[in-house]
Amino acid sequence: MIELRELTKRYGKRVAVDGLSLRVQPGVVTGFLGPNGSGKSTTMRMILGLDAPDHGAALIDGVRYAKLGWPLRAVGALLDAGAFHPGRSARAHLSALAASNDIPGSRVEQVLRVVGLSDVAARRAGTYSLGMRQRLGVAVALLGDPGVLLLDEPVNGLDPEGIRWIRDLLRGLAAEGRTVFVSSHLIAEMALTADRLVVIGRGRLLAETTVAELESGGDSLEDAFFRLTSQDTDYRGVGAS
Amino acid sequence: MSGYGLRQVTRMERIKLRSVRSTWWLAIAAVVLMGAVGTGVGLGYRSHSPVATAAQILNNSLGGAIGAQLLLGALGVLVVSGEYGTGMIRSTLAAVPRRRTVLAAKVAVCGAAALLVGLVASFAGYLGGQLAIRGTAIPAASLGDADILRPVVLTGVYLGVTALIGVGAGTILRHSGAAIGTLFALLFVPMIVAGLFGEDGVAVGRFIPLLMLLNSIAVTSPVPGLFSGWVSALLMCAYAAVAILIGGVLLRRRDA
Repeated sequence: MIELRELTKRYGKRVAVDGLSLRVQPGVVTGFLGPNGSGKSTTMRMILGLDAPDHGAALIDGVRYAKLGWPLRAVGALLDAGAFHPGRSARAHLSALAASNDIPGSRVEQVLRVVGLSDVAARRAGTYSLGMRQRLGVAVALLGDPGVLLLDEPVNGLDPEGIRWIRDLLRGLAAEGRTVFVSSHLIAEMALTADRLVVIGRGRLLAETTVAELESGGDSLEDAFFRLTSQDTDYRGVGAS
Repeated sequence: MSGYGLRQVTRMERIKLRSVRSTWWLAIAAVVLMGAVGTGVGLGYRSHSPVATAAQILNNSLGGAIGAQLLLGALGVLVVSGEYGTGMIRSTLAAVPRRRTVLAAKVAVCGAAALLVGLVASFAGYLGGQLAIRGTAIPAASLGDADILRPVVLTGVYLGVTALIGVGAGTILRHSGAAIGTLFALLFVPMIVAGLFGEDGVAVGRFIPLLMLLNSIAVTSPVPGLFSGWVSALLMCAYAAVAILIGGVLLRRRDA
């Protein structure tokens, strides 16, 4: 379980995450929705201890991330599709990370098969397409067979087949009793993947709901999302004339 | 508490260092450069009159260290700044959230590798010089002689420590270009400044890396006024320790 307690992050005067409190439960896929710049990525970085909160705390099964004995075996994260050295092969990248958490080499080959990169694992990761980079990121997240998964915009750059693959993978992982927390700014995709939804805007919690609840409001999911976030969208275009 | 420690993180860093090409290019370049300079020096002295001394050949054949320090310094910088430039640092710190452990592992792995490469490069310089003067009247320098062995070993140590100063600079500045530029400036600019002091330059110069290398570390007998080779090498270690400690404090405080 992931628990956020009044999590707050400021960059200068701008408040990126503003007193965010919520619990992400195991066994279901929880979608983390919000417009661009609403604080989703910052929240995820704070959960992983990459950014320090100015106030509040993020806890994984009751402890701060930095206190985890084997972080990769507790939490698997896909933060962005570029968190690797482009000159290093996928296999070496995974092997290095595996070594840090005493994960056996056989597991590296296993996750390479799961994400479909076995045949290209010796190639330098910098030569990969965006979709392959996402798959490598997913392989890193799965490496430690973790109980908690944290994925920031995992479908970015994936083709329709890849999107369906991610969707099935995440639902399968949740069905095994894991906590799956997935951010997206695409409500339509989240509707297909997630059971529960957390909606934020300007770093504040706007709604904790389920896909079913949101759909029962009478309007389309997209309209419901816009209704929720209309006061909290920073960047908006106008119709071309 | 069961969990990862320096042993696991050191293994990670070893795999990382081995698996990028720049490591191998920089290491090979350092060895080849020193070997070539050593050989060139030896060949240049073959027909020199009066006949060169063993000390002259040795001192000059280690001159490639001036370039090799830049290559190994860059190697040290890239071990850290290469991760910031690519986003790899977030994968690393997510796997190992205790950041001082990450830095300690990088220092251990990069330091050991650079020391090894530095010693091989230094020996290549020595060997190049000696092979090039074979068959001439110039006396050979034996590594059995302490005054010959010491500069060869200490030059290797100097090169290894330069890589560690690079690790510190990379951790502090996080940007490869800025950190390598700063490191080069730190190695060369103080020497130029010391030259402006004229006669008094030695009082300052004995603390300056490149002057220590050329006049105390890589020579059979230090220039008067400078520290002994061992003291100069220790002083370099102290510089590296300061850079790494500052880097460690910043690494803990800053967002990744």
